[in-house]
Amino acid sequence: MAELTALAGLLGLGGAFALVGLVLAGWMAWRIVEKAGLPGWAGLGAIALTLTAVGTVVPLVLLWVFAFMRWPRDEAGAETAGAAPRPLAPPSKALTDRRGWRLEGGGVSLAFDESAPIYRLTGGPAEQPTDLVVPDPSVGKPHARLLTAANRLGLEDLGSPGGTYIDGARLLPAHGPRDITAARTLKLGNVELALSRT
Amino acid sequence: MPDITSWLLSWAIVAGSAVLFVIAVVHLLVALVLIIPSWRILTRAGYAGALSLFHLVPVIGSFIVMAILAFGDWPAGEARRR
Repeated sequence: MAELTALAGLLGLGGAFALVGLVLAGWMAWRIVEKAGLPGWAGLGAIALTLTAVGTVVPLVLLWVFAFMRWPRDEAGAETAGAAPRPLAPPSKALTDRRGWRLEGGGVSLAFDESAPIYRLTGGPAEQPTDLVVPDPSVGKPHARLLTAANRLGLEDLGSPGGTYIDGARLLPAHGPRDITAARTLKLGNVELALSRT
Repeated sequence: MPDITSWLLSWAIVAGSAVLFVIAVVHLLVALVLIIPSWRILTRAGYAGALSLFHLVPVIGSFIVMAILAFGDWPAGEARRR
């Protein structure tokens, strides 16, 4: 009798683990295919197929198809398909705008110009004269780097967990410096900053 | 006269080793079927393809690979959420 109880308990525990694993795998599959530009339900459905008579063979085939198919994320000309901001077109050579820039939002107004080639955006106290402080817990210390040269402004993310966004598109450290001369808003962590010329 | 106990023990060890070998080979083959597409998916996402070798970890290996892809920011960029 005791053995039977133990066996039933073991089967119940195994079933619970299988169920949690299946739900977790379905959720992760949903997120993965969404990142590739496909509908999330396709990933969830592929995992749910393991519950049916076709077992794990069809999901395995679908995994191979997903790996080698064309992803909507990679479609040329897709409207803002990638979260990575695209590099902006080079400015006209006639551009002679010598004004500085201003970042406003989150209770701060930061003005800077080309007197320094590099500025650091940080959430902590300023350590250098070129540190621009955005006092918010979601802003890294330092968070990002602003680059000025030839009337152009660049932004480089330094990998802070809060994230950096240019007009809503995520900027990652792997993207390197991006031209934001024509950008309107930056987001550092939870702080949105409007970019304008002074 | 041969010792029947040691004879049986030897055979048990040989049989056990053979079973373990077969299990290891099958595990490697199954992992390989998962590693190849996962390597390509990870590479396209911008990660190192070698992360797909986590499939060699029994039971939780596939979950590790899926978690990396599902919860990490893809260095190569992601499609915008719908």
